[in-house]
Amino acid sequence: MKNKLLTKLLLLPVLLLLGGSAFAQITVSGNVSDANGPVPGVNIVVKGTSNGAQSDFDGNYTLNDVANDATLVFSYIGYKTQEVAVNGQKNVSVTLEEDVESLAEVVVIGYGTTTVKDATGAVTAVTSEDFNQGVITSPEQLIQGKTAGVQISQSSGEPGAGIDIRIRGANSVRSNNNPLFVVDGVPLSGGNTSAEGQNIGVGSNSSKNPLSFLNPNDIESISILKDASATAIYGSRGANGVVFITTKSGKGAKGSGWEVSSYLSVASVAKTFDLLGAKEYLAQSEAFGFNVAERNFKNSTDWQDFIFRTSASTNNDVSYSNNYGDGNLRATFGYGKTFGVVENTSLERITGRLNLNHRFFDDKLKLGLQSSISRVNDETAPTGASAGFRGDLLGSAYSANPTWPTGPDFDGTGGLLSPATALAYTQNVSHTNRLLVNFSAEYAFIPELSAKVNLGYDTSESTRIAVASPKARNFDQGVFGNGLGALNDLNTESRLIEATLNYKKDFSNSSLDVLAGYSFQDFQRDGRNVSAWGFFTNDLNEMGDAIENSANAVESKISGGYQQYGLAGNIADGIFVNRLFPEPTTDFITDFTNISVKSLFGDTFDNKDELQSFFGRINYSIADKYLFTATVRADGSSRFGEDNQYGYFPSGAFAWKINNENFVGDAVSTLKLRLGYGITGNQEGLGYGNFTQRQRYAGGDVIGDGGEINIPGIVDVSFPNPELKWEETVQYAAGLDFGFNNDRLNGSVDVYRKETKDLLFNVLAAQPSVQPFIFLNLPNSLVVNEGIEFSLGYDIIDTDDLNWNFNFNVAYNQNMVEELQGEFDAGTIRGQGLSLAFAQKLKAGEPLFSYFLRDFEGFDPVTGQPIQTDVQDFVGKSALPDFTGGFSTGFSYKNWTLNAYFNGQFGHYIYNNTANAFFTAGAFRGGRNVPLDVLTTGESFDAAADVSTRFLESGDFVRLQNATVSYAWPLDDEAFFSSLVLSVTGQNLFVITDYSGLDPEVSSSPAGADLLNGLPVFGIDYAAYPRPRTFTFGLNAKF
Amino acid sequence: MKRNLFTNLKPIFAIAFLSLLTVSCTDLQIEETDSIIAEGSTVFEGVADVDASLTNLYNDIYGQIGDQANWFALNEVSTDETLVPTRGTDWGDNGIWRTLHSHTWSPTHKYVLDTWNNLNQDVFRASQIIDPLSNPTAEQEAQARFLRAFSMYFVLDMWGVAPYRNPTDGADIDPSVLSASEAYQLIIDDLNAAIPNLPSRGPSDDNNRACKAAGYFMLAKAMLNAERYTGSTPNYQGVVDAVNAIGTEGFGLQAGYFDLFKQDVNNETIWYANTGVGNRIWNGLHYNQNSPDNTGGGWNGFTTLAEFYDSFEGNPNSNNVGDGQEERRGWVPDAATANSQNLGIGYGFLIGQQYEEDGTILKDRPGNPLVFTKELPGLSGNGENTGIRIIKYHPGDDGGSFRGHEIVFRYADAHLMKAEAMMRMGGDATSMVNELRTLRGATPLGSVSESDMLAERGRELYIEFWRRNDLLRFGQFTRDWEFKNPESVGDTKWNLYPIPINALLSNPNLVQNPGY
Repeated sequence: MKNKLLTKLLLLPVLLLLGGSAFAQITVSGNVSDANGPVPGVNIVVKGTSNGAQSDFDGNYTLNDVANDATLVFSYIGYKTQEVAVNGQKNVSVTLEEDVESLAEVVVIGYGTTTVKDATGAVTAVTSEDFNQGVITSPEQLIQGKTAGVQISQSSGEPGAGIDIRIRGANSVRSNNNPLFVVDGVPLSGGNTSAEGQNIGVGSNSSKNPLSFLNPNDIESISILKDASATAIYGSRGANGVVFITTKSGKGAKGSGWEVSSYLSVASVAKTFDLLGAKEYLAQSEAFGFNVAERNFKNSTDWQDFIFRTSASTNNDVSYSNNYGDGNLRATFGYGKTFGVVENTSLERITGRLNLNHRFFDDKLKLGLQSSISRVNDETAPTGASAGFRGDLLGSAYSANPTWPTGPDFDGTGGLLSPATALAYTQNVSHTNRLLVNFSAEYAFIPELSAKVNLGYDTSESTRIAVASPKARNFDQGVFGNGLGALNDLNTESRLIEATLNYKKDFSNSSLDVLAGYSFQDFQRDGRNVSAWGFFTNDLNEMGDAIENSANAVESKISGGYQQYGLAGNIADGIFVNRLFPEPTTDFITDFTNISVKSLFGDTFDNKDELQSFFGRINYSIADKYLFTATVRADGSSRFGEDNQYGYFPSGAFAWKINNENFVGDAVSTLKLRLGYGITGNQEGLGYGNFTQRQRYAGGDVIGDGGEINIPGIVDVSFPNPELKWEETVQYAAGLDFGFNNDRLNGSVDVYRKETKDLLFNVLAAQPSVQPFIFLNLPNSLVVNEGIEFSLGYDIIDTDDLNWNFNFNVAYNQNMVEELQGEFDAGTIRGQGLSLAFAQKLKAGEPLFSYFLRDFEGFDPVTGQPIQTDVQDFVGKSALPDFTGGFSTGFSYKNWTLNAYFNGQFGHYIYNNTANAFFTAGAFRGGRNVPLDVLTTGESFDAAADVSTRFLESGDFVRLQNATVSYAWPLDDEAFFSSLVLSVTGQNLFVITDYSGLDPEVSSSPAGADLLNGLPVFGIDYAAYPRPRTFTFGLNAKF
Repeated sequence: MKRNLFTNLKPIFAIAFLSLLTVSCTDLQIEETDSIIAEGSTVFEGVADVDASLTNLYNDIYGQIGDQANWFALNEVSTDETLVPTRGTDWGDNGIWRTLHSHTWSPTHKYVLDTWNNLNQDVFRASQIIDPLSNPTAEQEAQARFLRAFSMYFVLDMWGVAPYRNPTDGADIDPSVLSASEAYQLIIDDLNAAIPNLPSRGPSDDNNRACKAAGYFMLAKAMLNAERYTGSTPNYQGVVDAVNAIGTEGFGLQAGYFDLFKQDVNNETIWYANTGVGNRIWNGLHYNQNSPDNTGGGWNGFTTLAEFYDSFEGNPNSNNVGDGQEERRGWVPDAATANSQNLGIGYGFLIGQQYEEDGTILKDRPGNPLVFTKELPGLSGNGENTGIRIIKYHPGDDGGSFRGHEIVFRYADAHLMKAEAMMRMGGDATSMVNELRTLRGATPLGSVSESDMLAERGRELYIEFWRRNDLLRFGQFTRDWEFKNPESVGDTKWNLYPIPINALLSNPNLVQNPGY
C-alpha cells in the first residue's frame, strides 16, 4: 500500500518531466523467443519513453499505452538488441539473436554495471571463457596476465600462497597495495582470515591467501577498475583499484540443467638446484683439504628428492541451475584437494554455493541471494622465510650434507637442521570456515526509479595448530627435549548494509543515470594466540590436542573476562590471569587439573572497526557520443580520531565516442577517448585504534627457551594522534579505445599518473616514547606511479570451422618516491651470518624496493676475499618490473580448441638470498652442500658473504604459463549430455630467464615481526617454495 | 511455488529494512574490548595499573640486558675487550659487529638506533609511572625513578644528551633535549628521591628488583663519571660515601670468583636481571661445545683480543689447570679434568685445544681439532677456531644454560669505584686493589697507577658491560687497539655515538653529535 503511495508521489515529477505527448494509444503484446524457444526476462521498452515490460516465463509480454508509430526495443543481456516499429500492429513477436561478444562487454562497476563501450574509466572484464585453466587455488590466478597494468604475483608455488596484486604500480610504502575485492557486491576486508603461524623453532609462516575460499568454478566474471574515476565510488578503499568478482547465477540457463566438472592434476617441481651428490661432495671435500672422514656419514641422499614429490590433485564440482522465468537459481558443490610438490603441504577446499534470484509484482521487486559456505584445510611444512641461520625445510634441503642418513633422529649434523627432522617432527595445519552471504532487494517504483538494499554478511573462523616435537633436534627456542607448539584462532565477522537509489532516464538526445547511496560496514576480529612449551608426548597429533585441551582447561577455570593467562615452572603462585576490566588485575588459579604442558601462554584479542559511507554518481550522455561521469564518496572510519574521521573522494570522467561522429567512417567500429581524474584513499594496514592511547598487557614470545615466563605487565600499544588521516592518491588518466572492421582488430592505449601523499607509515616515534614506532601521515611525502598500457586483440581467422585469435598486452610503469623525509632500511635478508642484513632502502629519489648493496667486484686472486667496499649504497636497480606483459592466443578447428598464454616481466632485479645464505665457499667449509660452480669461483673458504651485488640478478622472464587443448564431444540433440568437453592443460611449461634460482617470479616475505621498519619485502628469493609444473586432465559435462 | 518463496523471503525483507534503520548512522567510535582506551583519545591519564607497568618495564630492561646485541654490544664490542670477527660466512651480519670494533659506525647503525629507542622508551615508561596521574605508591615511584636514572644514564653516557618528554605531551610535541649536565642532574635527583623509598635489603634472592644498595651503586657510578657530563670535578667523597652505604646495607666482597655467576645468593650481587644468560654463554662457544639443555651448541662468535688476555697473570699460551693463572682467568679442562659436571667447557678464557666431557678432543666442523688461537687474521676472513673465547656463566651450573639470572650491579665494582675515587682524591688505592687481588688469587701490586686501576677493572669486570664507560673515564677509548680503523685512532668523535638519523628527523630539537 505504502509502495503505491510512494510510487504515485514519485511519479508526479517524472510525469511533469515527460510532459504530455502520447496520442492514439494501443495495447501491444507478443512473444519473445530465441533459437531454442521462449526467452523470459527480456526488457521491452517503447523507445524514447519509460514505458516498458519484461517477458514472462513463456516469453510473453504485454505493453499498454503504446503509440501507433512507436518503436519497441527488445534487449536482454547476451542477445543483440532489436528495434521493431509497431506500425499499428497489436501483436509484435521477435526472435532474438545471441550476441556472444556483448556478454563479455558487461563490466561491473561499483553499485551497478555498464558496458565496455559506455564506460568512461579504465575498466576491464574477464569472463569465465577467458579464465586461465588448470590448477587454480584462488580466483585472482584466473585473470593473471589477462589485463594490461595488472600485475599478479603469487609469492611462491605453495598451494594457497599469498598474493601480490598491483594495479598500475605500487602506491603505498606499507605492504598494502592489493586492490579492494568485492564479491557479489560485498567488499571484503583487506585483512587475513587465517592466522600467521607462530614460530615453533624453524621460523614462522606468512598467512595464506584470504581469497582461496572462493571456488574458481563458481565465478562468472571478474571486472577490474583501474583508474580513480572508476574506483572513487569506493572512496577510501579504491586507491589500489577494485576487483569485482561476480559468481554464476542461473540466469544464463534455459530451464534446468546440471553441470559436472572434474579435474585431475599431476604436479612436479619445475626445476631443482644442481647440487653435489654424495660422491662428488666427498671428492670435493678431499680436493680442498677438508677432513673427509669427519664429513662422511656413509649415505647417499638426494635431499631435494627427499622433500619434493610428484603430487596428484583433484577438483570436482557439481552444479544445478534452473531458470524458471520469474527467477533463477544455481546451486553448486565443490571439492578440491591440491597437494603441494613439497611433502606435507596441501590445500583442501570444500565449497557450497546457492545463488537465487526472483522477481515479484510484475518484476518491480527483485530479490537476490548469493551465498557461499566453505571450508579450507591447509597443511604447511616449515617453509617460512623467517627461519634463522639454519634455514627452513627448503633451505636445509638445499644445503644438507648428502651423506647424512634420512632418519629424523640423526645427531651428527653439527648443529645444522636435517630436512628429515624438519619433515618428521613438525605439523602445521589450519582449518578455516567461511560464510559469505549477500541478500539484495531492488524495487522499481517506476521504471526510471528504483531503490536497492544490500545486506552482506561475511564471517570466518580459523584455527591453526603448529607443533614441533621434543624429538626435533637443532630447532631454535629450546624445542629439543621439550617440544613447542602454537594455537592461533582468528575469527572475523563483517556486516554490510547498503541502500541505493537509482534514477535512470532516457531523453530524446541524452540519457541520465543518477545513483545515491549509503553504506555501513563493520569488521570484527577476535581470537586467541596460545603457545605451549614442554610436552609429555612426542606424537604430533597428541601435542596439538595437548595445547588445545590445556588452553581450554585453563579458560574454563577462569571466571570473568581476561586478556591473558599462562603458567610456567618459574611461576609458583599458580596460573596467572591478566584482566583489563573493570580494573587491570593479575590473579592466580591454583587448580592445575587437565593441563598437559609445562608452560602455556594465551593472549586474546577482540576489536571492531566500522566504516560508514555516503556516495553518489551521475552519468550523463549526449547523443551517445559525449559521456560524463561524476562521483563522490564520503567515507567515515573508526580508525581515525574525531578530527579526521571523514574523508571525501571525488572523481570526474569524460568519454568521447568518436566513432559515432559522422566524420568517422564505418571501418572504424570503435574509437573512444577517455579522460579521468579522481581522488581515492587507502587505510589498509593501519590497524585498529592507532589514533588514541591504548594499553594492553604485553604479548609476543613470552615463553623463554627454558620454558620460563616473566608475567607480562601493561604497556601502551598506541600513542594519541588525533591528526591521523587517510592516505590519499590522486590519479590522472587518459585512454583511447579503438576497433576496426567490426572490432576484429581492437585495442586500447592508456596513460596515467598517480600521486600518493600523506603516506601512512609506522615511523620512528620521537623518543622518549612508549614505543619505537607510531603511525603517522608522513609530512611532505609523495610516491608517483606513471605508466602506459597497451593492449591489442585480433581475430586473424574468423570462420565457422576455423578460428584463430590473439591478445597481447603490455604495461610500463615507473615508480618513484619523489618526496620523503628520512631513509628507511628495508628488504630483510635471512641466513647464517646475515642477521640484520638488508638489501633495500626507502628514500626520496629512488623507486620503491630499490636495492641498497655493496658493490661486488670479484674475488681477490691471492686471498680469495671479496673485493668490495664495506659500505652499502644504491645500485640503481629495483625489484619493481618496468614492463609486464601477457600474450595469449586461441586456435579452434571444429571441435578442437587450443589456447596458450605467455606472461613476462622485465626490467626488475631479484636478490638471490638463497645463494647468499647457502651457496658460498664458506657454506661448504661449514659442511653444507653447494652446487659445483660455487667451488670454482676463487672464493676463499674464509670469505664473508655480505649482502652485495654478487647476489643481485636480473629477473626478466617469459613464461608459458598455460596451454590448454580441449575437445568438445560432438553430440546430437537427443544425447543425454547437452555438452561434453575434455581438456588437457599444462601450467608453467617453460620459463626463459637468466635467473639462476629456481624461479624468477618470486617474493619470499618473512613474518611481519621480521620486516625492517614494517616495510614489505619484494623481489627477494629466500628458498621460496618452488613453482610446480602441472598437467591437468579435465572433463566438463552439462545435462 | 512463487507464493511459498515469497512468504519465506518476506520476513527477511522486513528484517533487512528494519536493521538498516536501526544501525545506520553510526558515530564510528571504537569500544574498550581488548584494550584500555584513554578517554578523549588525546590525553594521558596515568598508567592503568602501576604494578603491571612496573613489571613490564623491568621485564623489558631485563630483556635488553640479556641480549648480546644493542646495549651490550655498544658497550663491549666497541672496546679493547671484545670483538665479533666475521668467520667465513658467519657473523657477517651486515658488518654491524665489525664497524663497532673498528670504530667506523655510522648514524644508520642498527644497534645505535635500537638502543636509542629501547633506552628512551624505558625512560618514558618510567616517567609515566612517576607521573602523579598514575598515583604510584612511594616505593613504586622509587623503583621507577631508579629505572629512569639507570636508563637515562646510559643515554647520557652514549649520546651525551638525553631527550625528555612529559607523559602528558601528545605525539605532536617534539621532546625537549636535556644537555649533558641537565640530564646528569635529573639522574642524581631521581636517585636521591628514590633511595629513601627503596627497600633496605642485603644479599637476597629478591634483588632482581632494586634495593637501597642498587640506588647507591647507581649514584656512585654516575658521580664517578660526572666530569664527562658536567665538566667539573666529581664529588669523589660522594662516591666513597655511596659505596660505604652499600656496605652498610650488607654487601661486600666474596671469594670464589666463578661462583658469583651462579644463581645462588651471594654477598656481591646487588642487582640481577631475570634474563636468560644464554647469550653470555653461547655467543663465544664453538658449535660443537654443548650442554644437555641446549641444542646446536654454541654460536661461535664473540672473542677477545690477545692483548686483553695477556693482561692477566699466567702462562700466555695456555690456560689449563696449573698454568700459573690467577683465578679470574679461569681454566680450560683437558683430557684429565673434563667431566660431566663441567661438560668439557672451561671457565673464563678458553684458549687452545678444547675437549668433550669424556676427555676426547673436540673437532671443528671441517673435522680438525678444535684449537682456539690467540691471534686473529682480521675482522673478516676468520676460521671457526680463531680467537680466545670468554665465559663467565657456566652451562654446567645449577639452572643450566638458560637460567634467568644475570648480574647487573656487583659489589666488586663498587669496591673498585671507591678505590678509584680515593685515588683521584689523592689517596692510595693500593691496599683496596690488593684486597681484591688477593681474594682472586693474583699477586699483590706494589703500587696502583691510573692505568693499573683501568686494567684491574678490566680483569675483574670483563663482559659486565662497563668497559666502554671505564675506557672513556680513563681517556683511553680513542687509543689504538687491534683491528681498530687507523683513521679512527685518536678521534674523539667516537667517544659519543651518533644520534640515529631517523631520530634526528623525528625531533628537530636534536642536534647531531660533532663529527658525524
